[in-house]
Amino acid sequence: MLGTSVQRSRNERRPPRGRNTQLRRLLLVVLVLAALVLLTVSFRSPTSGALHDVQGYGASALRPFEVAAERVARPFRDAYDYVSGLTGAKSENKKLRSEVRTWRAQAMASASASHQLAELKALMHFEELNSFPKDYTPVNTSVISFPGTTTQTITIAAGTGSGIRENTPVVTADGLIGHVTNAGPNTAQVTLLTDPDSAVPAVDVTHGVTGLIRRGPRGTFILDRVPKEAVVEKGDRIVTRGTVDRRYPDYYPYGIPIGTVLSASPSDIATFLTVQVTPFANFDSLDAVAALVSKKR
Amino acid sequence: MTVVDGLKAAALLFVAAILQVSIFTQARVLHGEPDVLLVTLVSVALLRGSVFGAAGGFFAGLLVDTATLAKLGLTSLVLTIAGYWIGRYGETTGRDRGHAPFLSVAVITVLYAFGLMIVHFVLGEPTAAGSVLKGLVPSIVLNLILVAPVYALVRRLLRPLDRGDYATEVHLLG
Repeated sequence: MLGTSVQRSRNERRPPRGRNTQLRRLLLVVLVLAALVLLTVSFRSPTSGALHDVQGYGASALRPFEVAAERVARPFRDAYDYVSGLTGAKSENKKLRSEVRTWRAQAMASASASHQLAELKALMHFEELNSFPKDYTPVNTSVISFPGTTTQTITIAAGTGSGIRENTPVVTADGLIGHVTNAGPNTAQVTLLTDPDSAVPAVDVTHGVTGLIRRGPRGTFILDRVPKEAVVEKGDRIVTRGTVDRRYPDYYPYGIPIGTVLSASPSDIATFLTVQVTPFANFDSLDAVAALVSKKR
Repeated sequence: MTVVDGLKAAALLFVAAILQVSIFTQARVLHGEPDVLLVTLVSVALLRGSVFGAAGGFFAGLLVDTATLAKLGLTSLVLTIAGYWIGRYGETTGRDRGHAPFLSVAVITVLYAFGLMIVHFVLGEPTAAGSVLKGLVPSIVLNLILVAPVYALVRRLLRPLDRGDYATEVHLLG
């Protein structure tokens, strides 16, 4: 009893470890070892091998459940988006009207330039690699699992069965979001541009300045490796740079929209210009995406 | 503890894993996100002990890694240890205590986040430690909100055991 000085015998002080205890600890060791073995095999061959195939079939088996759960949750999510969208609708409408006027003028100029470019390419017998969007077939699909706090990946409901392969670019209606890093028969894992390891060669279409798009602070990107003497202005559009050298093809073709320049400022201590980019795609609300499958195999 | 209990626990964890990867990862509030799978695992481990905790953690982790095409074994490793540890707490000091589920979930949320970060770090994979740390307190709060309904549901399906059924090494006096 508590509060009384009960003298325990030697046996009571150290309770005998029963068979249950040993089995329990053995189970823990076995499970931890099994997890480590799986992790090692998976780490050594993340996108091929028997384990990858089994995982792919497992993911296909789980897909209907994920899709069902996502469909059940969708009305609630849509309702939330609708209500949150209403709060800023008036100011957004004004901003969008202003943008439409600007884009309309630019579209007319672009149409004329595009026509000229096609004629010049024909005259020069200009050969080029895959160009976006004409050389790609979009595989429209839904997102069935979303990025967590430690990983910046999503799972989409289409895989190798739809022609998706590793490194296939993935976009939303607004712009680039990432590329496929692991593909199963009916699902694929997409690593987002918000992943700390992601680096996409990009170009400022207004001034022709090139750099690397990396994750930046507070949901923005940084256009890295831009020389200090380069001219970049607020509002400039950033798109993928595409393949520059045939020997080193890029995952992304030229021209996939990424975002607009939010600010560009030199720093005394930094080697390069600090260019902050606001992404076109909304990474907090990824719903429907398109994987760009190349027509040229 | 019976086979039926095992099947019930497996079904609970399966549903929780599917809901977690499909719905709950999107419900982000102030950088934090609720983890219904972790809360379910803690509830199962508290009510059925370390064996169910460890096996359930392994199974649930495998489901998550399979569904998200992540590296197999990564989540299993962390959840197995978490399930075992909470199971031991349930078998010993945590039994019959009203605050045990809340305390367990708060502690495990922190350890799980750090555990995943450490495994990613050991594998040489990038992980945004800043956003994990920023979202830690909101995640704890969100998980604590989930504890009451989830624990009640799990308790309804897995009735608490008698003291003698727990695999315990602690001898109570008196």
